[in-house]
Amino acid sequence: MSHSRNARRDFLRTLALAACSGGTAALFPQLRMMGSALANTRSLTGYKALVCVYLSGGNDSWNLLVPFDTARHDVYADARGGVYNAQSNADGLALGIPTGADVALQKIVDGNDASSATNQYFVHPKIADLATLYRANKLAFAVNVGTLVRPIVKADYATPANRPPQLYSHSDQENLWHQGNSIANRVLGWGGRCGDVVRSSNANQDLSACISISGANRFEVGLSTVPYRMSSSGLSSLSGVCNPTPCNGVSATSVRDNALNALLADTYASDFAGEYSKVFARSRDLYNLLKTGLDGTTLVQQFPANNSLASQLQMVAKMIKLSKAQGYAARQIYYVRLGGFDLHSGLMSGGNNDHAALLKLVSDAVAAFWQALAPGDVDAQDEVTLFTASEFARTLQSNGSGSDHAWGGVQFVLGGAVNGGRLYTSGGGPISGFPDQHLDAPNSFSRGQMIPGIGVDQYAATLAQWLGVTSPTDLGAIFPNLANFGSSNLGFV
Amino acid sequence: MTRFSNACGAFAVAALVACAGAHAATHDRLFTYGFDPAADAPADANEAARFLTQATFGPTATDLARLTALGYDAWLEEQLGMAPTLGAPVVEQVVNARIAASQSVSQSQRIQRWYWQAAYAPDQLRQRMAWALSQIFVISDQSSSINNYIVPMAGYYDMLAKDAFAPYRTLLGDVTWHPMMGRYLSSFRNQKPGATTSPDENYAREVMQLFSIGLVLRDMDFTPILSNGVEIPTYDQTTITHTAKVFTGFTWSDAPLDPPNFFGGGLTFAAQYAPMQCFGTEHFPASGSGSNNMRHDVTGDDGTTGTPKTVVGGMTIPPNQTCAQDVADELDILAAHPNVPPFVSRQLIQRFVTSNPSPQYIERVAQVFDAPGADLGDVIKAILMDDEARHPAALAGGDSYGKLREPILRLTAVWRAFNAQAQPPDAYGEVKMSAGNSQTGAFGQGPLESPTVFNFYEPDYQQPGSFADNDRYSPELQILSEASAYSTANAYYNFSAKAYQGMSNPPTDRPLLDLSTLTANATSPAAMVATIDRSLLYGTMSANMRATLTGMLSNLNGASAAEKAWSAIYVTMLSPEFATQR
Repeated sequence: MSHSRNARRDFLRTLALAACSGGTAALFPQLRMMGSALANTRSLTGYKALVCVYLSGGNDSWNLLVPFDTARHDVYADARGGVYNAQSNADGLALGIPTGADVALQKIVDGNDASSATNQYFVHPKIADLATLYRANKLAFAVNVGTLVRPIVKADYATPANRPPQLYSHSDQENLWHQGNSIANRVLGWGGRCGDVVRSSNANQDLSACISISGANRFEVGLSTVPYRMSSSGLSSLSGVCNPTPCNGVSATSVRDNALNALLADTYASDFAGEYSKVFARSRDLYNLLKTGLDGTTLVQQFPANNSLASQLQMVAKMIKLSKAQGYAARQIYYVRLGGFDLHSGLMSGGNNDHAALLKLVSDAVAAFWQALAPGDVDAQDEVTLFTASEFARTLQSNGSGSDHAWGGVQFVLGGAVNGGRLYTSGGGPISGFPDQHLDAPNSFSRGQMIPGIGVDQYAATLAQWLGVTSPTDLGAIFPNLANFGSSNLGFV
Repeated sequence: MTRFSNACGAFAVAALVACAGAHAATHDRLFTYGFDPAADAPADANEAARFLTQATFGPTATDLARLTALGYDAWLEEQLGMAPTLGAPVVEQVVNARIAASQSVSQSQRIQRWYWQAAYAPDQLRQRMAWALSQIFVISDQSSSINNYIVPMAGYYDMLAKDAFAPYRTLLGDVTWHPMMGRYLSSFRNQKPGATTSPDENYAREVMQLFSIGLVLRDMDFTPILSNGVEIPTYDQTTITHTAKVFTGFTWSDAPLDPPNFFGGGLTFAAQYAPMQCFGTEHFPASGSGSNNMRHDVTGDDGTTGTPKTVVGGMTIPPNQTCAQDVADELDILAAHPNVPPFVSRQLIQRFVTSNPSPQYIERVAQVFDAPGADLGDVIKAILMDDEARHPAALAGGDSYGKLREPILRLTAVWRAFNAQAQPPDAYGEVKMSAGNSQTGAFGQGPLESPTVFNFYEPDYQQPGSFADNDRYSPELQILSEASAYSTANAYYNFSAKAYQGMSNPPTDRPLLDLSTLTANATSPAAMVATIDRSLLYGTMSANMRATLTGMLSNLNGASAAEKAWSAIYVTMLSPEFATQR
């Protein structure tokens, strides 16, 4: 039975090549765009991986990175200072300027800015480990990134065509971040479309170029790329049948195994049954491919316990190590996700789920991942670029105990290839620099919702180019709005 | 009637065994007519089983007999009239007994009870409707805001079951005022505008985006209305800011009023699932008059005193009303919005019948929804009795009618088809229904356990490949992955191979299947497969699958009757055909 599935895969591979010259697209509509995607591929050497860390719910990232100088901090504190209480106010949602020993832990300087009046910042106290990586020039902040159709100023906002659809909606804005463009209701993500371009360079075509440790996601869906979705706990066996499949000899187990494989290999008129069998069959194929190797792949680096993001990144590190050791791939794109950031209330509660607790999970997980990538372990620090994404930042102004949905925010990028120790604050449009944090400033609305100065498209295209998607045709196809922006490469990596 | 039901029940069991041949359908019809069934009875046992697959947690022999005897309409009316089977009273008893005995308590107490109701409650249609509503009006124990509120969350689910056939406006009100929703979407203790704060916008946004009208204006058939080719948003950020002021001042039902303590109350389970009360002053210590002045949002310190709130559709809510008036006005406006019938109807159709209803199907249901005096009971009848539900086009290549069965519904269908015997209650009165808390992780879904307010899967999810290419929807495919295919299958193994009556050392934490309808024919693979086909696939098993399963059972000739039986069930549970409801 396994044989027939392999045969089917071979058939699809042949078909993919044939599709370059057209002709089969009508039979297989899902392949309709494959030709153009593959036409632009070339051989990519070495190994590179992008790792998307998605912070779900809308990270209140204006508390990730805060001005250190008193003048700007006063503005920030005024905007965020409303009624959070913890023994009467505790400065509302605002973080205080660090003092004493905390200065060395939290303070950073923007390497792009020579002026001490404007180049000093501090990071949230729970992400001091990330500040260390920043000072080592391995980590950069991208400031005021958000979904945009084109660069705009406040006066442009009133015209709907000037702004992305359904701003402030979780689902819609997450989709646009995943897509890398602001066109409503698309299915494809920029990671998956990059996968379309780079996948032909991978030696093993059974293992998708896109791997998710956090289930279905639009980011990794391409025209010919479907993400392989793993669990952070690795590959479990399938009860009652053969692992791997098939198994030798005749037993009740092998009889059931053969029956299951026959059902999965059948063709179905119902697309629901067809998709189900495809996913299940892929699960069996990838188990056969990866199980032994993954069980034998160990990391020197310990990852923190009770940290779902750390567990996911640990699996990413193992998969990178295994993929490199086995020569599976030249390019890979990973997706991990941490939820809970939609903190309309309890942002500063001090509990196990407040913003500080979430940021500590992020910092601990990312720091452990970086250590795991070091020489002597995975040994891929220069080959991996990790970046964050989140559907929106939150209102500067408090609602009492939390903040609400807003727009542009802060993201970070980490890797040996990153031009770190700097803030990237300009996309070449009219709004640039670390934003004015007065409520209802020229670049913001009444509750401190920031109009982005950098489009998601620019942020994503910069990462895509590092991965190897460099032809203007490919970039234009994946990021159709990129031409609206002043710069298609922000230079942080 | 009793005699008739018994006879019919006995028939149904016999039919599972007997009707393996090519003449099964004819045979059923003759047999059924012999009992002089209702005029609108299902044409045969397979049609009845298909209907019950849509309307319940899975057909049982008893329900098949009942439906055949009553006909569709009387069966539906009987179900609509049944009192809700409740969870909270039982969960409360168990929780109290466990606490008294110094045992830990967790959400698993609520979840065990939920599975029991799904498997055994007689008000199956109501329970299925509550399950569907819980996937639209989402609250979740994955949020720390309500994770510790085990009994009140069961109370929220009971509210959905009570309102399952009520007018939509009643449901919307009860959802809005429920403290578990209040806490989950943070309208609970939401405060009026202050000098440096604005009201929390969470509930204002999601009640519109998810519970009532959605993001863009739509026709009755759910098609977006376009203006110059562009979709028209139902609201903007200004609407949200104004609407947020409506949903302020809520707190526990027992928060003290004299002197007022906005942050007090919530002292008993009963108070934690009774509707919230709304404080006019909404601050502690009270500002303004220092009493419950019932002007919850108009005395903000930000200068917005006394101005009307402009809400969805440009409607206004006048200033200086009581909290209750404000909320009632807002919910009336939402419930009357023309988007509601198609928006809610389409999602309910997706939960019961098909991921891809035709626009005409949606419109027919939406018209029923929109009729004066209509309630959700009328809506579910319209959904289930629509021609598109009862008589779909014949299966053809590229078919996207029907849906992927939810992982939980595949399990309950097997329990009910094979008459699973519940465990006796434990020392604390709890009936154990599952192998543990990891089940939700294995399935990717669990009762009131969604990762976010957007449910386990979204109504607009399109699986990459044929669904996306053809602009078709496939919500349940969103939780099927290479990882969940295995984890779900492994859970099924524990509910079939490791949970049947008569096995040695049977588990004590889950129901035990009755394999007798299969083991009775253990020497006849064809008869066993016919039983599987009727019990789990309402007679739709393909020739290929029949051949595969028959061959499997033939090749299991050295295995025990029980192993043959559970192998047939288990492999079917993993099969693409059983995974699909059509």
